[in-house]
Amino acid sequence: MRHYLKSGSLLAILCFLAACASPYRALKPAVRKTQTALWSRPVFTKELYRCMVDGRFLLKRFHLSGLLLFRQLPDSSTRVVFQNEMGFSFFDFAWDRHDSFSVKQIIPQLDKPAVIRTLEKDIRLLLMKGLEASGEQYFERGGEIYHRFSAGKGYAWYIEKEGQLARIEYAGRRKITTITPVWAPPSPASSDSLALRDHQSVVVLKTFKGMPDSVLFRHHRAHFTIRLHKIREDAAE
Amino acid sequence: MLRLWVALLLLPAAITAAAQPKGYQALKNTEAFRQALAKTNAARETIASDFTQTKHLSLLEDKIRSRGKFFFRKEDKVRIEYTAPYTYLLIMNSGQVLVRDGEKTSRISTRSSKVLQSVNRIVIDCMRGSVFRNPDFTVTVYENSAEYLLVLSPAAEAMKQLFRQIEVHMDKQRLDVTRLTMTETGGDLTDMDFTNTRHNVALNEALFKIR
Repeated sequence: MRHYLKSGSLLAILCFLAACASPYRALKPAVRKTQTALWSRPVFTKELYRCMVDGRFLLKRFHLSGLLLFRQLPDSSTRVVFQNEMGFSFFDFAWDRHDSFSVKQIIPQLDKPAVIRTLEKDIRLLLMKGLEASGEQYFERGGEIYHRFSAGKGYAWYIEKEGQLARIEYAGRRKITTITPVWAPPSPASSDSLALRDHQSVVVLKTFKGMPDSVLFRHHRAHFTIRLHKIREDAAE
Repeated sequence: MLRLWVALLLLPAAITAAAQPKGYQALKNTEAFRQALAKTNAARETIASDFTQTKHLSLLEDKIRSRGKFFFRKEDKVRIEYTAPYTYLLIMNSGQVLVRDGEKTSRISTRSSKVLQSVNRIVIDCMRGSVFRNPDFTVTVYENSAEYLLVLSPAAEAMKQLFRQIEVHMDKQRLDVTRLTMTETGGDLTDMDFTNTRHNVALNEALFKIR
């Protein structure tokens, strides 16, 4: 009996350690046979999304909804504004042309360093800001190409599957955030030709130059999700 | 020195002129207006209207538009239904609030939130004409040939954190609210333009059902 208990405990510890192990440990370094993930950087002038935030804090569930406006200005700066459906602004974030971040406005309830840091990181990862192309590293596993960039205390991973950006992950030793962008089927005008750089033996990512039609942000440790759905009707002018 | 005195003497007039909205003058007989508003609204049991909401982002020159339907039933039932380009429903009924944002429905008691209580009251006050009795705001009334303009300046601290001011535009003929302009402390403002306003139409109680 004691033997079984001992082996059971050992198994539990092993399972725990396996769960704690970095999910990126099994990745194999790859030679650069794909082009930079930065090719997938979204290009836009103005996009409006319906935004839903769901999570739990101290065993209490919370839900918040609103509109998220992404705006690229002529001076190459970017603004992201979140407001509720009735027009009341929650926050207004800005990145200048050098990707330097500032808070233009935020309501006192959200004006907490951890909240701002998390929201800023989510948007920065989605918009692929502050990434150094020279530091990009390539890995592969199970038919997926992992593009790794240093980002703060962790790494930003842009994971490509079948020539398309499948998801974005942010992780230190453990996965912290997963961002899943979904595009509607591309029109020929919005996607780039696969043959464009074939002569350089570089497979071109099937990037859709616009912003995704929907995005799901999953915060694995903070236990909340943010869902974005593009508003197609001419709501923003 | 004389110039300084002249400047100081003219300062109060300059401040008044700056505070007065362009194209309007201060209403001389506010009491008569209050009475007319009270009398008109006493005869109105329900209000139904369409609205267009325009959010102006002060630093971006951008606007976000939406539209929907507004319903009010005495004494304190309000339904604000956004229909395009997204669906969003807000019902206020006797201190209870229902919010449906496409997927989720939440029910909140205004007793649990001072801010929600105040916002609830602003909407109802504007429709019921009882805005002068709201202690959260001081009200100044202006007029031009076509409309009255009520400028609500926050007096309560909770309201000062939310709004710089709220403007209520009223049609002079019918005393209908034609536009609500809410200016936030950061300078962003939201216009709600009301059109096709009808009074005393039959409104089903189910429109205001919270449970």
